[in-house]
Amino acid sequence: MNNSDKIKDDNKSYWKSLKAYDNDPEVLKLKQNEFVDGVTDEFKSSQLPDISRRKFLALLSASAALTATACTDYRDKGEIVPYNKRPENVSPGTANFYASTCNGCSQACGIIVKTREGRPIKIDGNTDHPINKGKICAKGQASILNLYDPERLNNPTYNKRKIDWSDADSNIIDALNKSQTDGKQIAIVTGAIVSPTIKKVFDTFTAKYNNTKIYSYDLLNDAIRRDAWFECYGSNDYPSIKWNEPNIILALDSDFLGSEGNYIENMNLFTQKRETLSKLDFNRLYAAEGRMSVTGSLADYRLRIPPDQQYDFVMALTNELLKKGSAISINSQVQAKVQKFSLNKFERTVGKEKLTHLVEDLNANRGKSIIHAGDTLSKDVHIAVNLLNEILGNTQIYDYKKTFKTVLPGSTKGDFKQLIASMNNDGVGVVIHFDSNPVFTLAGDFGYTSALKKVETIVALTESENETSSVAHYTLPINNQLENWGDAYVRGGVYSLQQPVISPVFNTRQKEAVLLTWINGKTNSYSHNIYHNFLMDNFNTEIYPRKKPFSDQKTFWLSALHDGVVTLDENIQPSKEINTSALLNTNESLSNGFVLHLTNSYYLSDGKFANNGWLQELPHPITKVAWDNYAAVSPNTAKEISVENNDLVEVNINGRNLTLPALVQPGMSDKTINIELGYGRKVCGDVGKDVGSNSIKLISKDSSISPFIYSNASIKKSSGTHKLVTTQEHHSLDDTFVKDFHRIRNIIQEGTVNKYKNDSNFLHHEKHEVFSITNEHEYNGMKWAMAIDLNKCTNCSVCISSCNVENNIPVVGKPQVERGREMQWMRIDRYYSGTPDEPIVSNQPMLCQHCDNAPCENVCPVNATNHSPDGLNQMVYNRCVGTRYCSNNCPYKVRRYNFFDYRDEFADAYYENDLTALVNNPEVTVRSRGVMEKCTFCVQRIMEARSNAIRDGRELKGSDVVTACQQACPTNAIVFGNANDPESPVAKLRDLNLAYHVLEELNIKPNVTYIAKLRNTHSEEIA
Amino acid sequence: MKKTVLDYALKIRLPLTLFVVATTFVLTYYISRPERDGIGYTPQQPINFSHKLHAGTMGIDCQYCHINVTKGRYATIPSANICMNCHTLARKDRPEIVKLTQYYEEGKPIPWKRVHKVPDYAYFNHSVHVNKNIDCTSCHGDVKEMEVVGQVRQFTMKACLDCHRQPHENLPYLKQVNIGPENCAVCHR
Repeated sequence: MNNSDKIKDDNKSYWKSLKAYDNDPEVLKLKQNEFVDGVTDEFKSSQLPDISRRKFLALLSASAALTATACTDYRDKGEIVPYNKRPENVSPGTANFYASTCNGCSQACGIIVKTREGRPIKIDGNTDHPINKGKICAKGQASILNLYDPERLNNPTYNKRKIDWSDADSNIIDALNKSQTDGKQIAIVTGAIVSPTIKKVFDTFTAKYNNTKIYSYDLLNDAIRRDAWFECYGSNDYPSIKWNEPNIILALDSDFLGSEGNYIENMNLFTQKRETLSKLDFNRLYAAEGRMSVTGSLADYRLRIPPDQQYDFVMALTNELLKKGSAISINSQVQAKVQKFSLNKFERTVGKEKLTHLVEDLNANRGKSIIHAGDTLSKDVHIAVNLLNEILGNTQIYDYKKTFKTVLPGSTKGDFKQLIASMNNDGVGVVIHFDSNPVFTLAGDFGYTSALKKVETIVALTESENETSSVAHYTLPINNQLENWGDAYVRGGVYSLQQPVISPVFNTRQKEAVLLTWINGKTNSYSHNIYHNFLMDNFNTEIYPRKKPFSDQKTFWLSALHDGVVTLDENIQPSKEINTSALLNTNESLSNGFVLHLTNSYYLSDGKFANNGWLQELPHPITKVAWDNYAAVSPNTAKEISVENNDLVEVNINGRNLTLPALVQPGMSDKTINIELGYGRKVCGDVGKDVGSNSIKLISKDSSISPFIYSNASIKKSSGTHKLVTTQEHHSLDDTFVKDFHRIRNIIQEGTVNKYKNDSNFLHHEKHEVFSITNEHEYNGMKWAMAIDLNKCTNCSVCISSCNVENNIPVVGKPQVERGREMQWMRIDRYYSGTPDEPIVSNQPMLCQHCDNAPCENVCPVNATNHSPDGLNQMVYNRCVGTRYCSNNCPYKVRRYNFFDYRDEFADAYYENDLTALVNNPEVTVRSRGVMEKCTFCVQRIMEARSNAIRDGRELKGSDVVTACQQACPTNAIVFGNANDPESPVAKLRDLNLAYHVLEELNIKPNVTYIAKLRNTHSEEIA
Repeated sequence: MKKTVLDYALKIRLPLTLFVVATTFVLTYYISRPERDGIGYTPQQPINFSHKLHAGTMGIDCQYCHINVTKGRYATIPSANICMNCHTLARKDRPEIVKLTQYYEEGKPIPWKRVHKVPDYAYFNHSVHVNKNIDCTSCHGDVKEMEVVGQVRQFTMKACLDCHRQPHENLPYLKQVNIGPENCAVCHR
């Protein structure tokens, strides 16, 4: 009811004002209309006056906002904080280098660690080290990431609960004393020990707790070779081989250029006889193998012989060569044994011609050849090989000066069987795992894990959680190798030292110092330099008197630390005469079914490096598979069991079985299964957990041939598939469209030594007319260029690993590799030609070619990639908008695009944390999502060399710059420098007759020159 | 012809709005220019250090404190122990020196405010420039006359390139000077 109604209806009215009372007509009218005119009209902004109050305010605030954003006070530039007391020799922006020793494997190579502002950022070989001569392997390069692994343990734990070091120490000391008084054994289970000082710590430990026994075990070792040497010569120390001397090399399932022994040293020496620039004095490599190893892929002649037939083969060869004479006298018994074997058996699979060449070559090069058996082959093969080398008089190829020494002999199977029996009988009180992981690496049928349950106190000293620490009571975190003191004595006369380059990042301790604390029996006896002093004392008593330097102890110690290595004169006598009757106890070991060959992984070692993303993503040198292992079988075998790539197969030996994906590997011997070890870690960081399959399960403690070779295995197709990812597509060799494409398009150009000798210009007979419609740009000053000698490239991938570390390359993970999005700036292309049974393998490192007429530059819409006056194809991340036109137009496909911010994208930002960020090279931008990147020819190193030249007031020379891949290349196959300096090595290689450019006919003028590979066959054709 | 709203909007409103926006932008752009480039940025430092006194009046060489300038990328801010070379004895009682001594003795680094900065993606190298005899003042101004150091010149890519392209005009005191490199990879990598 409104007011007016009220008035009408109800005479009893109330007045609101005097005028109302007076019934003013205006008031009456107003009373009728509650609102004044116009107020209730629909609001229309167009009817408002031109500059309304709202608009005015809007304009005012907009301009105020604009001014405010642009005209605030000065941007804060943060703080710049200097040292309080600057450490001597450390200045921001300048790298420091420290010599040390690598702990990655038992070869203990000398390393140089590069640190910036106190943090290690790169590991390279120590040039002063007489064995590895400035080079290290891919694992060594990438191992820097382990220091910054986000899942490193950072506190001691007892039954997974955090405790203090002092509590852990006192509890364990009590347990040790109790074990001692109870008469129970204390077992220290360790990996291979190459440090004399650690051995001394063990000795002191055993003296204090005399129930202690040391067990040293490594999954991959040279035990078989050592045992065979002992049987032949009565010595545990076997000589190394002067790989740079023999003319003929026969490798029997030996991957001496890829994964066995000190393969960095081996390939360096081996390729000294593959020099094309100076003299053409090539060695000839025969490889007899069942799998396809790196060594086999490099062989001039490859003989497909399965691992179980190697004994027959070497005996037959001995028989053949013994007929032609012998350097030593052979008794009739041995002669009779050898005579049973004949090469005829191998003619069908290997081919008569190859066998004839082999026998003739070995016969003609007596004393200048070597036969080498692989680490995985049986002791019998090794004994036969030792004898054959004696018969041929090849002992002068042995290098006794660089003998492989034993610091602590490895434990035998029998030792472990005893330990486990003792554990099961409650005879073991304490087990200390000294940076070892036997739960994972020991053959399953030892029953180690179940026996451990009977042990009262289990201690695991480890860097990060592993299978052993997961069943241990005490998990004690230890220092990374870069935080450690140490020493190593692996080769005759070479004593190398290890020094820390960073103080422990976490609450970790040096493992030797932990033992020393327990030896002292008092928890407060620990100090961070307890082992440092112990090491120094040992050095002063053992090494100082032997070297007899003029300087005092302290000075000599410091200079030894500086150099990282001390060479000692050692009088090592060559071994005595061979005990030929050792051969009489050897037996052949043939199988009817499949033969399983377990070999070591190229990059993961025994699983130790499983949590290193850089190594997991490094493609396998032959198959190019990343992030997996697989059962490799020959094409014929694959047909026989009707499997293809990625199909799951079940491998079975005496009830031990494993299901894993199959991979068809051309060139393998039929009925052979090859699986790599070290994959399938279960308790590990996020990166390595459940990657691949654990083939250690297939190893038995009672292996008859060798722990790595099993005859009478079976393989059958299982249901399902598992996708293997490769960085290079598999083209089947019988596909007519792509077959030999790399040869037809002259991507791979090869010849033979004979062909080159007859016609040195054979590569350049077919000339093609190339012309340009524009004037060529002239390069008058420096012009950076690279040459890669394919005669020396062994496919070891150290260059890629080194590049990853130098240039902050992210890990992208398996799903991204599957989409072809791996970010490595370098790759090594592997091509097969020939037949699937007898493929010829060619390798080619491929990186940005820095073309003079670069096709990528023309198509960039924002000029983010362009050319520098010194011949570099530059990539400017800030300009890049990510069209990817450049990558599309690059004929070499060497550009890499950041589809994601990979540090953030990979495994829930696994590597995106403050700790891992420290691994980055501060001289190289960390690229983000949406930009293109590629090889820069290490422009940061060029710029550093340039600034050094300016500082020293001299001209910049090409030799001042060493790229990361060049520095890392163990065979010096990569040469970098100034192409305009005719005296530079790179210019000389560019002028060589064997030099060619890939896709030369496009006239894009690449600046990476390849030196065509020459194969040392008997004919002018590639075998 | 009938005047429509559209005519009005296009002929008067739009130009007017554009004019206002453009004027505001241009004005703010130029007025704020030095501030955006950091010219005149003179932050308060934790210790009231006077370059005028040390470098000017007492004539201490720049390199006595900025030791790395001829050796590497960074000129380096002196660590506290360099200050203490003199101040263990000199003017120990002054309040600012007391502050310095306190920092030094507590082992704490002095949190100096940063005055000059090139972005992270530009890799500037001091030694290359100083070893070519380019004077510090060419970029940093006459520090000898500054009580509190502030930025006096632009640190933009344009400023770098101007000098690289016309070194003779920008560095007249150098008798022999080459044109600086101007390819991307010199600074960006």
